[in-house]
Amino acid sequence: MSIKFNRVIAAVAATTLAVGVLGLATVAEAKTTKPINKTVHVFLSADTNIQVLWEQKLIPAFVAANPGYKVDVVLDLHGAHDAQTTAKITAASITKKDPGYDVLDGGFVPNLGDSALLVKPTSKLIPNLKDVPSTLIDQGHDGGIPYRGSSVLLAYNSSKVTSVPKTFDDLVTWIKANPGKFTYNTPASGGSGKSFVTTAVDKFTPAADRAKMAADYVPELETNWAQGFDLLASLNPYVYQKGVYPTGNAAILNLLSSGEIWMAPVWSDQFNTGLDNGTIPNTIKSAQITSPSMTGGAAFLGIPKASPRQAAAAKLVDFVLSPAGQEIIATQMNGYPVIDLAKVSPTTRGKFIDADIPHLRAPLFSTMGTDLANQWATKVPGK
Amino acid sequence: MKALRSPALGFLMALPPVLLVVAFVGLPIVTAALFSLGRTDGLNQVIAMIGQNVHKPEAGQFFTIGAYQQIFADVRFVPDLVLTLSVTAIVTLVVLLIAVSLGLLLKLRGGWLPNLLTGLSVVPLFIPVVIAAWAILMFYAQDGFVRSFLSLFGINGPTWGYTSVSIVLGNIWTSLPFAVLMVGSGFQSIPDSMIEAAKDSGASLIAVIRRILIPMAGVPITIATTFTAIGVLGSFTVAYFTGPNTPQMLGVELNNFFVGFNQPQQAQVLAFVIFFFASAIAATYVWANFRTAKDSGRV
Repeated sequence: MSIKFNRVIAAVAATTLAVGVLGLATVAEAKTTKPINKTVHVFLSADTNIQVLWEQKLIPAFVAANPGYKVDVVLDLHGAHDAQTTAKITAASITKKDPGYDVLDGGFVPNLGDSALLVKPTSKLIPNLKDVPSTLIDQGHDGGIPYRGSSVLLAYNSSKVTSVPKTFDDLVTWIKANPGKFTYNTPASGGSGKSFVTTAVDKFTPAADRAKMAADYVPELETNWAQGFDLLASLNPYVYQKGVYPTGNAAILNLLSSGEIWMAPVWSDQFNTGLDNGTIPNTIKSAQITSPSMTGGAAFLGIPKASPRQAAAAKLVDFVLSPAGQEIIATQMNGYPVIDLAKVSPTTRGKFIDADIPHLRAPLFSTMGTDLANQWATKVPGK
Repeated sequence: MKALRSPALGFLMALPPVLLVVAFVGLPIVTAALFSLGRTDGLNQVIAMIGQNVHKPEAGQFFTIGAYQQIFADVRFVPDLVLTLSVTAIVTLVVLLIAVSLGLLLKLRGGWLPNLLTGLSVVPLFIPVVIAAWAILMFYAQDGFVRSFLSLFGINGPTWGYTSVSIVLGNIWTSLPFAVLMVGSGFQSIPDSMIEAAKDSGASLIAVIRRILIPMAGVPITIATTFTAIGVLGSFTVAYFTGPNTPQMLGVELNNFFVGFNQPQQAQVLAFVIFFFASAIAATYVWANFRTAKDSGRV
């Protein structure tokens, strides 16, 4: 017993020592890499489809076009640690230390831009930025660089749904006429459900207030949401299993594919990729509703001001915004190109000719969105 | 010399794990406790900058209980707490019942059936919880196996997916292996001669179980009970995937507040609520151990 115990202690001691030595080794390495660095660390707060996009397509193409550069990827699946990542970047800026990430891809990027923690994108730093509409660049809040677009669509089972709702009111009528055949994921767990909830509350929000809520954190305007929440709560008896809202975007796609539900809000890129891969049957089609339409917009990249490798990072971002980079995004994951469509291939142009990204209805400001998710949880399910 | 050296050596050898625990568990608990009480300086500075709805003490005050008041007054809190505690109680009871019956069957009867059942009950140990949670959801869904099978006989089966029933079933599944192994080995270590002696003196089967087997396996049974209860109390995965929207298990609600609602201070308050109940369970464990030690004259 005692020998065994001592062995355990020795093992723990050895591990502690090893961790310590490794720690020192990384510190030493960081100190020796002072000269111009062609290594770029990309941080992804996203799903695996974005990981595949970067690791298997964008990065190999970038490295092939720019020999000598090295790019590695850190993935935070589903952005589960966004708060910690934001904290890390903020802390690195305050203490003027290397945050370890040079290009950030995640929903929190515009918030970092708002806190003046990102490099301001200019055509001098990123030449291809000239092809991106300025309205989109403005949505990035002084630092977010738009690099692909997506929107939330209404997916429906074409073998069951005969007349597809055209407006939000039509959709509500359809939900009540087809009990148990519609649902959306909880707004805290995924963007497609959050977009539907946003759309419902937007129906009763004055346009001027809504514009402020997309640009800034204005909690005093949240009183506008009451009517929308009442409407959503009144739909409970007509929603899947009399008011079940599953967790995550993927759970909704599963229910649609298995035929359990006939209609739901979905992400355009996730949905189209599923159709291409065959995980979603081709009887499921998509449409957009109007008055109001569901939200959409660009996804943003950011270069932290604290990063010591900004030049290399800008080079990578410039490649992503090049016609070649945008083509990869369009073919690999059905992302909407953010550059002038005249610059991409005819096939891609044809596919996205109707996707007018600068004029998509912008989502709520990130912190407004978290408030929305919180209030939805107290006011809708089970009420 | 030797007597003098060994405690010092022992202390030194124990130091790395102790330091590890202090640095990576102790310190975060202290900063979290301070943050939940409104201290937003020092190590909490950055998280307080990012979080929404952070309560800070008024001028001249050192602490505030604002975050605790907010959570305790929240409409979600009481239903969540009731669900969490009842799921914990039900799961622990069922798991214990199964583990004790299997252990007794194996000890008293033996043979292939109890061996097979014990083997089966350990299977969940080898299946990742996320996979199991999805499987459970699919199995009890509206179009799942249970309902499809029952409909063959014209019976309208229950839909347990996205209800608290599936949380209970899922947690029984994940908690069973540890309890069965723990309780089973407790019974196995009791010498057969004691059971035979009792039987020779005319003790009935019930008396053997009640007065010899259960008391002698008391410590492993207590360990299995407390560990199961603490595990279910803080469980997340099964409830996250298969549970209802409202009420939710505290572990899931904690994650909602931390990630979904960006309210880290409130999430930490919920963590301390779970911690409080887990400590209460742990205290009964320590008390039970102490009593056994006292009974056997070791203390």
